[in-house]
Parts: sequence; C-alpha cells; structure tokens
Amino acid sequence: MIYLDSAATTLEKPPQVPRAAAWAMTHLASPGRGGHAPGMAAADLMYQMREQAAMLFHVDDPERVVLTSNATHGLNIAIRSLVRPGGTAVISGYEHNAVTRPLHAIPGVTVRVAAGPLFDQDGVYAAFEREVTPGVDAVICNHVSNVFGFIQPVDRVAALCRERGVPLIVDASQSAGVLGVDLEGWGAAFVAMPGHKGLYGPQGTGLLLCGGQAQPLLYGGTGSLSVRQDMPDFLPDRLEAGTHNVCGAAGLLAGMRFVSRTGVSAIHARERALARRLMDALERIPGVTVFRGWDQSGLCSAVVRGMDCEEAGEALARRGIAVRAGLHCAPLAHRTAGTQDTGTIRFSFSVFNRPDQADRAAWAVGGLAGNLKY
Amino acid sequence: MVYYLIICRSLTYAQRTAQVLERMGISGWVQRAPKLISKEGCGYCVRIPERRLTDALTILRREGMAPKQVFLQTADGEYSEVKS
Repeated sequence: MIYLDSAATTLEKPPQVPRAAAWAMTHLASPGRGGHAPGMAAADLMYQMREQAAMLFHVDDPERVVLTSNATHGLNIAIRSLVRPGGTAVISGYEHNAVTRPLHAIPGVTVRVAAGPLFDQDGVYAAFEREVTPGVDAVICNHVSNVFGFIQPVDRVAALCRERGVPLIVDASQSAGVLGVDLEGWGAAFVAMPGHKGLYGPQGTGLLLCGGQAQPLLYGGTGSLSVRQDMPDFLPDRLEAGTHNVCGAAGLLAGMRFVSRTGVSAIHARERALARRLMDALERIPGVTVFRGWDQSGLCSAVVRGMDCEEAGEALARRGIAVRAGLHCAPLAHRTAGTQDTGTIRFSFSVFNRPDQADRAAWAVGGLAGNLKY
Repeated sequence: MVYYLIICRSLTYAQRTAQVLERMGISGWVQRAPKLISKEGCGYCVRIPERRLTDALTILRREGMAPKQVFLQTADGEYSEVKS
C-alpha cells in the first residue's frame, strides 16, 4: 500500500515513536500527582516535551505549551477564549470545520470570511486587510490549506493583526513540522497543531501554544491548588484538567526530536518535491485537473473529469493507493476555490514517501482516467 | 541536613525553576510541597541546599522568577517561612 494521506495523519512513524509510547505505558505514571519515581519520571518527560516544542516553535516559556488531544481541541480552547457571544471573527477562506463549527456554536457570532483566490497570497492578504478592523474579537487563519496545500501569508496577516490590535489564532495543522511556526515572531494569541501529522507523534495528541490568556474548556483536577474550586490561573495547568496522555506525549516528544534532527526545511523540500513530481505526472493525464500553485506545500488536490471523487478515492484504495477524497471537512475551502460541487482527491506526502510512490499514484490515476499514456 | 524549599505555583513552574538553577550550577530537587506549608492544596517546590539560597534567589530574581514563598526545612522536620 502506498500511503498518501499524511494530511489526515502520518502512518509511518520514526521507529522511536511507537517505542517511546509503548515504554511510557508501563514505566510512567501520572505527572503532577504522586511524588514517587514513576510520577516524577512522567513529569520529567512532560517537561522535556514542552521544552522541545518551545524550541521548535519559538515559545519563550515551556509553560505556554499545552498538551491537547488534537488540533481541534486546541482551536476550540483558543476560539472560546477570544470570541464572545455576539462578537465578530475574521477567518480565511480556507478554514476547516475545526474552526467554523466552534464559531457557529457561539451564539450570535458574526463571521467575516477574508476569501482570496486560491494560490494568491496577495489576494488573501488584501482580503484580510479589508476585513480586519479594530474591535474584531479574533482573526483565525490556517497556515496551510488542508485541501490544496496553499501556504497562506500568515507572516503578513500576523503583522496586520499586531498593527490593528486584533488577536490572531493560527491553525498550524498542516504546517507544524513542515514550515516555520513562530509563536513569538507572529505575536499570535494562540497556535494550534496536531501531534500526529507533521510531528510524527501518536494520534490523540496535539499542542496549543499560548501567547495570550486562555479560558479552560475542561474543568477538573490539575495536581495544583486543589483546595480552590476555580481552575488555576496559570499555564499549563489551567488548560490541562484530568490525567494526561503521557504515552502520547512520549511519542510526540520522540516525533518532535525526529523533526528537529531531520530539519523542518529538509522535510518541506522533500515533501514539496514529491508533490511536484506527482502533479507534473497528473497534469499530463487528459481529463485530470490539478490544483497547483507556487505557494504550495507537500499536498495537492485533483479531480478526474466524469468521475465522482469518492469513487475515484475508492478505486485508488483498491489499487493500493491511500488518499482522501471529498470535502476534507473543509467545505468553506472548497467553496472559496469553486470545488464544492465536485470535491477533490487529495494526495499528501510525508518525509517517508519515495518518488516511485508518486509515480505509481499517477499511473493509477491515469488508469482511472482511461489513459495510461501520461 | 537543612534545606530550603522554594514554593512554586505548579509542577511545570517548579521544573523550570530547577532548570534555571541547574544551568547556573545549583542543584535543585523538584518534589511535592509538604502539606503543612501548602495551604491551597497540592503543590510543588524546589529543594535546595542551605548554603545556596542567596545565590538561588539572586538568579531567580534576575530571570524574573522571584519565588513567592521560601521555607526552611530543619533537620528535625520543622518548617519556617523565611523572607525571600
């Protein structure tokens, strides 16, 4: 099987990741609860994980690194912390349901969409310039579209937000481990990311980097100030009620160490080269439309004329090619790009994919399109 | 042995405190704060040797991490708060 669905989760992990998670299961207890050796060993691991993330994502204080269960969890905390009932949020035209649904759930919120054309960073920035006005509760922008791999102009949007005094939430689901993510440099209020995609950790892990004040989503024991009934006002305890996913954190730490050692830019270069190789091949197949641009990461989308994208995805799965088809939980992104009626087939790479796998995927698509001579 | 206990608001803060001290050559031990001095329930502290308190406080103030409370733990297990 050729796995090209790393935008959903990376399947092949560095071997040290499952090893670390399995070891943690039988050697590490609950951090911040008991003062015994397995409890303190778990606490050490959690701290190392926070430090590693702080280094990788430019966070000045490891306390501002919060372990979540996924990016969605982090985005919910961030959105609930900043967007008030009846308030206003500005979002990009390429946001995931992990952003739009939490906003929809807050009563009376006005959502303004800063929609720019696909692969047009200037156009996206211009849309934000129009929509971001003082008084907006928060701007939310993903770094990379999970549908098209479009790298959005987050640096410029962050500068705009700083200039206009509007808090910024960045969804780094598709960029953490692949592009530079910089909490301090952006001056972002929050950056949310999964641990199980570009950071190669286990599923069920995520990180929320906090640049601003946060409101808890979950209430309960934190191993601190237990006499008080309100949640602690300091991080990470404020946002980490209940027993931690220590096994996940152990795997995530191993994954982040792998990313640091390999180098974020080297990973990006490899994945981008693989995506370009695939797109070059797909573009030679009559009837296949590829969504391609200069500012694109290691994932791409395509449609096969006359074929339902879900059927195409199923057919590719039968041929041993694992992709994701449909709307990718991002109907807004499809609406912005004009693909909401067709959906797309998405191909997404990890650092472990090889060029021959891109070639075989293109060959399989060529078979679907009824033309193998691409 | 006589130790000083630097009370910290959380486990993570205690770890950070110990790390800052360690980098400056002061070994600190992160442990749960004794119930007698942890009035608000579960807490953590960093235990340092008696003779390193002055240096430790200087370093922590310089790092913007001045402790809220410091206790002296005597050899007979008594605790007394000291002005930090």
